[in-house]
Amino acid sequence: MGKWFKSGSPWIWMTGGAVSICLIAVLGLLLLIASRGLSYFWPADIYQWQLEDNDGVKSTLIGEIYNREVVPTERLISAGHKFTKHPGEFVTRYLVKTGNREFVGLDFRWILGTNIVSRSLPAEVAKLERTKNGDFYGYPIAVIENGKRLALNDEAAIETSLVSHIDRAVAIADEALELQKSDIGTINYQMERLRLKERGYELDGQLTDARKIEINAQAEQLHQDYLVLEKELFALRDKAARDAVIVKDMRGVEVSLPLDSILDVSYVNHMSLLDKVGQWFVGIGRFVSNDPREANTEGGVFPAIFGTVFMVLLMAVIVTPFGVIAAIYLHEYAKKGPITKLIRIAVINLAGVPSIVYGVFGLGFFVYMMGGSIDQLFFPEALPSPTFGSPGVLWSALTLAILTLPVVIVSTEEGLSRIPSAVRQGSLALGATKAETLWRIVIPMASPAIMTGLILAVARAAGEVAPLMLVGVVKLAPTLPIDMNFPFVHLERKFMHLGFHIYDVGFQSPNVEAARPLVYATSFLLVSVIVALNLTAISVRNHLREKFRSLEH
Amino acid sequence: MISIDSSVMQTKTIDLVNLPVDDTALEIRNLDLHYGNKQALFDVSMKIPKKQVTAFIGPSGCGKSTLLRCINRMNDLIDNCKIDGEILLHGNNIYDKKVDVAALRRNVGMVFQRPNPFPKSIYENVVYGLRLQGLNNRRELDEAAERSLRGAAIWDEVKDRLHDNAFGLSGGQQQRLVIARAIAIEPEVLLLDEPTSALDPISTLTIEELISDLKQEYTVVIVTHNMQQAARVSDQTAFMYMGELVEYADTNTIFTTPKKRKTEDYITGRYG
Repeated sequence: MGKWFKSGSPWIWMTGGAVSICLIAVLGLLLLIASRGLSYFWPADIYQWQLEDNDGVKSTLIGEIYNREVVPTERLISAGHKFTKHPGEFVTRYLVKTGNREFVGLDFRWILGTNIVSRSLPAEVAKLERTKNGDFYGYPIAVIENGKRLALNDEAAIETSLVSHIDRAVAIADEALELQKSDIGTINYQMERLRLKERGYELDGQLTDARKIEINAQAEQLHQDYLVLEKELFALRDKAARDAVIVKDMRGVEVSLPLDSILDVSYVNHMSLLDKVGQWFVGIGRFVSNDPREANTEGGVFPAIFGTVFMVLLMAVIVTPFGVIAAIYLHEYAKKGPITKLIRIAVINLAGVPSIVYGVFGLGFFVYMMGGSIDQLFFPEALPSPTFGSPGVLWSALTLAILTLPVVIVSTEEGLSRIPSAVRQGSLALGATKAETLWRIVIPMASPAIMTGLILAVARAAGEVAPLMLVGVVKLAPTLPIDMNFPFVHLERKFMHLGFHIYDVGFQSPNVEAARPLVYATSFLLVSVIVALNLTAISVRNHLREKFRSLEH
Repeated sequence: MISIDSSVMQTKTIDLVNLPVDDTALEIRNLDLHYGNKQALFDVSMKIPKKQVTAFIGPSGCGKSTLLRCINRMNDLIDNCKIDGEILLHGNNIYDKKVDVAALRRNVGMVFQRPNPFPKSIYENVVYGLRLQGLNNRRELDEAAERSLRGAAIWDEVKDRLHDNAFGLSGGQQQRLVIARAIAIEPEVLLLDEPTSALDPISTLTIEELISDLKQEYTVVIVTHNMQQAARVSDQTAFMYMGELVEYADTNTIFTTPKKRKTEDYITGRYG
């Protein structure tokens, strides 16, 4: 036994064990989030229950099972529940999503196992995904085209007809949305620019009558264009709302739903496994490419993904030159005295400051002071409405750049110190100045270390949410920071962020049960985005390492 | 006296004390060097003739490498190094405040003890100095590269793999590459700091032959702790001991009839 201790094996087991625990923890976390999150997209069976409560009142319930719980009977009894027949020690209860929000009040409901008389899986029940008011469960019994009820004999014909009509409505609605966002959006943008131009002239005292007439003429033209497009938009919307579907819901009532409010219909119970897998992928695809609806509790998270990636890339572009130059100064040029020591200590302490403090700093310095000055100097015509003087993606990127600066500096310095002085001296002996040696030899050789710093910076920044809440992230942003209007990249706009989205959906949404799977899905997505960013940076670093492999001989 | 094969002795004898200015590459005048409080060079004075090979020999720590590094001001990189005295190149003191050190180093090249090629291709290594000077014309660079690699006696070995990484070469080849890199910018003076001490005997021999060729174009100053190498390769030899220049004369004299006792003791191997 003593020999085993002496041989050094316990250390190997200990270190191996520690690494294994870390890996298991990380993988376990990912698996948990992935399973909870991805299962949200799997088409779940739609059940129909016949319920009878304690007073003998019968009802029908249609919906999906979201959760099941085993509760001690004692708890239910003490909460005031009365049982006609004592069910034993435990009772199972089910969380059912019934949808149909505007008709039944609660779209999630707990039902007790004891109240269930029977349960079935009807083949013809469908789930209709809607643009407003969430999902709708029921039996589609008729399709109405242009006010006329179509003569369809059997369920399959109804299904086919419904699907084709929905596809038509969705295509038209997409066209209308495109019209609204790009064409009308461009006109609005141009009208705003015209207004600012006029205001600019006014401030400079150069608003001559001739100019005023010209601007009015342009505004009038834009207004005419707008009216034309508006008419087109309304026409499209009317066209989309031409048809309707009649669905029988769980109360037995026949409800007419206009097709412009329906995005998709799925007859889940008679879908084959292959269909379900296809639907699963479609669901995930929609999640990452669509905009959110219903206060972020439904729809996709594309703007949040875009905002996160864009901001992180912007931050990387800002922090790398500053960090590398600061590290080069500290390592190569600074004299080794007390001031340099002080600077180093300050840099290292920067890493320990809580991130919300950075948020407050960013708000005060970047947003109000710098942004305010920029507004005064360059955008006076927009005032009092701030352009850069309010939170935006540029200030967020800058705040996070300062937050991650110490990491880049330390990492770069580490890389610089590992370069052997023989190579530097060789360059100097050929008549290079120190700056030329740095630029041509030293920095390329330190580039793997710089990439390491960048990887660490990206990993940290992509996950920070608290400071961003103060300097640029919003719950819902109507536009992306990049669009087709000049100057194409709008750094003053607010943006959406996956981390903040998780917080918002998980804790601020009006419908917690609806939101919960979405929180897991968004978390998994955030982790995936960060892993993807990291893997990209790591592969770049490995490529650079191979190129400068020289040194390790 | 150690026996020297007279066929490798240089037969021309130069008057090193009254060397005419046209024949002088460098003149070192009363050079003192201090590392902090410790003095490493004591009042060194010598004249180094043009287009000849001059060797500095002496026991470890005697200051020969330090002296060599003074000639292209590499000691400037050491923080607490203080230098008094002058080194004249073309009659101008290189330690003058107005001197452009980078220009000096273009004129006085150096090869170090361990080969230090850059982590670039062989071609890029050789043309590095030329690119620094702003030369970017592909054809001119190609010609210069070939000329330098031939001059360093390595062209045949690398002409088919000019764009391979320089670290794929052997130690001897890397050292010759470094020499090629140094002569590509056509300096006047070439300083070699123990260039073969890290190499095997065959590579050493190749480089020694190279040095004999190099002196056609360049003034060569070589530091070596290998006396036989100094005897084989150099025209003049300076023997240094504990920071002082003990004796400086043509190689023949130093190795057959040294004037100072210390010199004789060293070359007969009484201490190393």
